[in-house]
Amino acid sequence: MSIMTTKLGKLTLDSPITVASGTFDIENFHFINQKCLGAFVCKTITRYPKKGNPTPRLYESEAGLINSIGLQNPGLDLFVHENLPMLRDKLEVPLIVSFSGSSIAEFEEIMATLETQSGIAGYELNVSCPNVDNEGIAFGVDPEVIHQLCSRLCSITRREVIVKLTPNVTDITAIALAAEAGGADSIALINTVFGMAIDWKTGRSRIKKGIGGYSGIGIKPIALALTYKAANAVKIPITAMGGIYTWEDALEFFWAGASMVALGTANFIDPLSAAKLQEGLSAFLIEHRYSMRDIIGKCIL
Amino acid sequence: MKDTPELRSIAIYSREELCGGYFVLWIWDDELSKQCSPGQFFEIRAQASFHDAWDSQRIPKLFKPISVYDNSGGRIGFFIKNVGAGTSALARLKAGDMLELIGPLGNSFPVVSGKRVLLLSGGIGYPPLSYLQKEIINHNLIFWLHGGATQADVFPCDEVWTVDGSIGKQGMVTQGLEDVIINKKIEVLYSCGPLPMLKQASEIAFRHGVEHYTSMEAYMACGIGVCHGCAVPIGSHDDWDYLRVCKEGPVFNANDVLWSEL
Repeated sequence: MSIMTTKLGKLTLDSPITVASGTFDIENFHFINQKCLGAFVCKTITRYPKKGNPTPRLYESEAGLINSIGLQNPGLDLFVHENLPMLRDKLEVPLIVSFSGSSIAEFEEIMATLETQSGIAGYELNVSCPNVDNEGIAFGVDPEVIHQLCSRLCSITRREVIVKLTPNVTDITAIALAAEAGGADSIALINTVFGMAIDWKTGRSRIKKGIGGYSGIGIKPIALALTYKAANAVKIPITAMGGIYTWEDALEFFWAGASMVALGTANFIDPLSAAKLQEGLSAFLIEHRYSMRDIIGKCIL
Repeated sequence: MKDTPELRSIAIYSREELCGGYFVLWIWDDELSKQCSPGQFFEIRAQASFHDAWDSQRIPKLFKPISVYDNSGGRIGFFIKNVGAGTSALARLKAGDMLELIGPLGNSFPVVSGKRVLLLSGGIGYPPLSYLQKEIINHNLIFWLHGGATQADVFPCDEVWTVDGSIGKQGMVTQGLEDVIINKKIEVLYSCGPLPMLKQASEIAFRHGVEHYTSMEAYMACGIGVCHGCAVPIGSHDDWDYLRVCKEGPVFNANDVLWSEL
């Protein structure tokens, strides 16, 4: 067991570093070694193909990125027949399949299909995408619904079930507790924060849909606070994300209570960021003779 | 075309000042030079690490997609307009400073020969056509129509239009397009520029049965096909999808672009 080993629910992973769904794909392994990741999270899939949102879909603001992709994806069937075999073939680290649905039944249908497939270590239930109307965030804001969704899905799989939470709620602990009570093995947070940008000259929204999801360095303090809050509320482990760029950023999240961190926007800004994070974190742990256990949740007030 | 672009740091060999906030950054790299084709682009950025960024209180920014303007004998040129945060960081660079780049990325213009070719550019749409022109000039009859807002946005070409009339004909460059297509018996059109220009050009070219390849521009986050941010609608009215400018593009057959969705 290396010093970087971390436990995430049912999984024991060689590195506490992963990637945020939709920000990283096989292409990124041109830049870095797979082994710096403890797990690979694929882009969220839905039951049927999704075209995604009208353009423009992106805008880089003062301290981060606003996106409005709208879960563009090939749909479950194509994913199972094309993407999954490719991922199975190329991945050397555990695969977490991220998916979303427009009803609990649809979530169940997707999971039932994925259950028949090998090469999947766990699932990320995306109940927090801010950019789609009937999926994603529509689920993630109601503790009742989260509880029901988790209990139904956890009863049909023995794989890791991660619930990805949105920050766009009044009380994230209520949602986190509902996921835990429903049987989720771990939670991931935060998805993007509602964000907007307008061209001050013309008055035109920079994003076609108006409001998008804001990520990157500007949301780091928000993500850290919510990680800390959630970690103090639930016993299940947390994958934290939101503005993490460096190994120093990552350490803050571990102290706050995260068992794992994910890089999102950082992958766009520096394709080597996961490798650098791994190197810096491991050097820090060695220097201070820490293991992950010594740090996770040990923040001093 | 290489399908495994690397991230490199390369020193800027020289910097050329043009008018109106336009400048050219030149690098030397034999290997990259051999990989490039007209129409392709690089994700480029002034080198800065996350740590430097904090030290200087600057927040690290995304790479900017910049198309190749010139590529000959190992020398690659990026013709850039200073328009925003990312490009102004590039505008501060001088010879010897380090440039971070990923590429070459994307597809390239289909190369024709023995044709009557029209190049149509608007403003900063000029650079990729300049590279293309050098590659195809020996095998085709080329006419170049360029438009800009004002004379500061005008570069060497055959016919020029400016919106304010400060040089060349006054108006939008697309006003001159139909005449040129007819008079020069144009068979193939290559275009790059602002969306309204491309939209209009594609209607006119379609009406005259001219083969039309257009290089699209879009806001990008990753540049390597991961984030789906730089999407453009491609296909027919009944059957279309958002394709990626960085991966399936930036060059598309203009007849495949669903202009009404843009």
